[in-house]
Amino acid sequence: MAEYYSSFSKGGRMWFLQRITAVILIGTLAFHFFLLHFVNHAAEITFAGTQARMSQVGYFLTMIVFLIAATFHGVNGVYNALVNQGISGTPKRVARYGLALASLLLIAQGIRVAFAMAGFSL
Amino acid sequence: MSAETDAETEPEAKAEVETEPEAEVDADAGTAADPEPADTEPEPSVPDAGSESHQERRMREKDERALAREEAAADAAAQDIETVEIRVYRYDPEVEGKTTPRFDAFHVPVEEGMTVLDALIYARDEFDSSLTFRHSCRQGVCGSDALFVNGSQRLGCQTQIADLDTPVQIEPLPHREVVKDLVVDMQHFYEQMDAVEPFFDPDEEPDDSFEEQRQTRENREKIKLSTRCIQCGACTSSCNVAAGDNQYLGPAAINKAYRFIMDEREGEQRRKERLEIVEQEHGVWRCQTQFSCTEVCPKDIPLTEHIQELKREAIKEDIKFW
Amino acid sequence: MAQTYDRGAVEDIGRWREFSAGMWAWVLHKFTGWVLVGYLFTHIAVLSTATGGADLYTGTLQGLEALVVVRLLEVGLLAVAVFHILNGIRLLFVDLGLGLERQDQTFYASLVVTGAIAVASVPTFLAGV
Repeated sequence: MAEYYSSFSKGGRMWFLQRITAVILIGTLAFHFFLLHFVNHAAEITFAGTQARMSQVGYFLTMIVFLIAATFHGVNGVYNALVNQGISGTPKRVARYGLALASLLLIAQGIRVAFAMAGFSL
Repeated sequence: MSAETDAETEPEAKAEVETEPEAEVDADAGTAADPEPADTEPEPSVPDAGSESHQERRMREKDERALAREEAAADAAAQDIETVEIRVYRYDPEVEGKTTPRFDAFHVPVEEGMTVLDALIYARDEFDSSLTFRHSCRQGVCGSDALFVNGSQRLGCQTQIADLDTPVQIEPLPHREVVKDLVVDMQHFYEQMDAVEPFFDPDEEPDDSFEEQRQTRENREKIKLSTRCIQCGACTSSCNVAAGDNQYLGPAAINKAYRFIMDEREGEQRRKERLEIVEQEHGVWRCQTQFSCTEVCPKDIPLTEHIQELKREAIKEDIKFW
Repeated sequence: MAQTYDRGAVEDIGRWREFSAGMWAWVLHKFTGWVLVGYLFTHIAVLSTATGGADLYTGTLQGLEALVVVRLLEVGLLAVAVFHILNGIRLLFVDLGLGLERQDQTFYASLVVTGAIAVASVPTFLAGV
């Protein structure tokens, strides 16, 4: 028992980042929902409208921050849920790297889409 | 100056009063009202939560239940009900025919002020001497009779039969191996307590070994509640995370670490080491703030609050770059 | 209930009636979290039509929005997001050591406010179907 606790790990950094991204998401998610459901109705969304919004640098950057924060918060949340279920060893390593890869792909694709919306093609 | 002397004597003194529920209210009110005789020193600043503390909540609920009990007693007198049915979990791996867990019902004559432990003792003494459970002091000090009563972890000696719905279902603490009947294996719990190295270790000791190592009143107030732990294991048994993760230190052990980390007399190096123990991956970070431990703690220790404070303490150390 | 010797996690779920406010808050926070992260991946997948040209993007989105079931799911999504945000704020306060004595009331408050916002948003979300 006691030996197990002797190795030092920084579990706290991920915990802290989860809280930081939470704070970012409170603002961005509420803003996103409000803008695209109440100010602009979802049914009336067109590519032209999306492009007009995404062409503004501030909005574009906000959406990128939103994407990264949401991906980290969501994927890290899933990982925490799995760890709390008691996975360890190989399944844990698979989950960690699998989820890390999934988030990188999601962020990459998200940024690609964001550029396409803003009118650049990559 | 009781507040400044040995940290560990206080819970006992308090707990002894708890044999008589009625007396307890007065005793607690008394200690809160005049902790010191009129003195030049200002009152210690007790952190005020701004609303009802757990202790106040329990006291209020206790009063409400006492009132309900009086009414029920009046009803019972009218209807002439004398016994209460307790349904007790039975299991004995060593006796053929008892290896499959079952519930036995006992009809125990009710007396005023009867606790769950009293009912169990009566059932064992009068009906079935093989009924097995741990108990010692019968007054909420030894911490050996934490049981799962009507779906919640409680101390048998501190739970009034009259406050419970009948039949009263009594089971061993969940998430521990059952040795026999209501007796569970506490080894793992004690190992977790041990893992936080729960002993006082100051940097410098007084030259005269008989001299007291004094603590400020404010600091005593800060760790007061955490010193109340009687290691009954109710908190850890109620914890959903501890159930799934055997490496998780659990609320009791983390609270024990808190008791020393927050003690101003703790040595600098020792404090650092102890913080490192609780900020392991399976330390404080596993806590999901479900508040189960805080709700079942028979000593009203704000466990979740202490765990959260240690998380912040660990983060402070971690992001400190100056 | 506890008829079995093995007291595993499944038995815990069997005790759901005995869960307290803090437990329910945790269960719902996890559940809404899973829904939101699932939606995040789906959302980016749908929006990826933007890389295939303006008409494809506009057509896909408006085609989806024309379906009643999508509109209803969106109300559900709003409820899930609002609860996750409100309970998330509650949890952040708990992390800061504030309002721990009122953690059950704040959970019930998040539920009520979530319900109110979800109901109030139904006309907006179902407009023009």
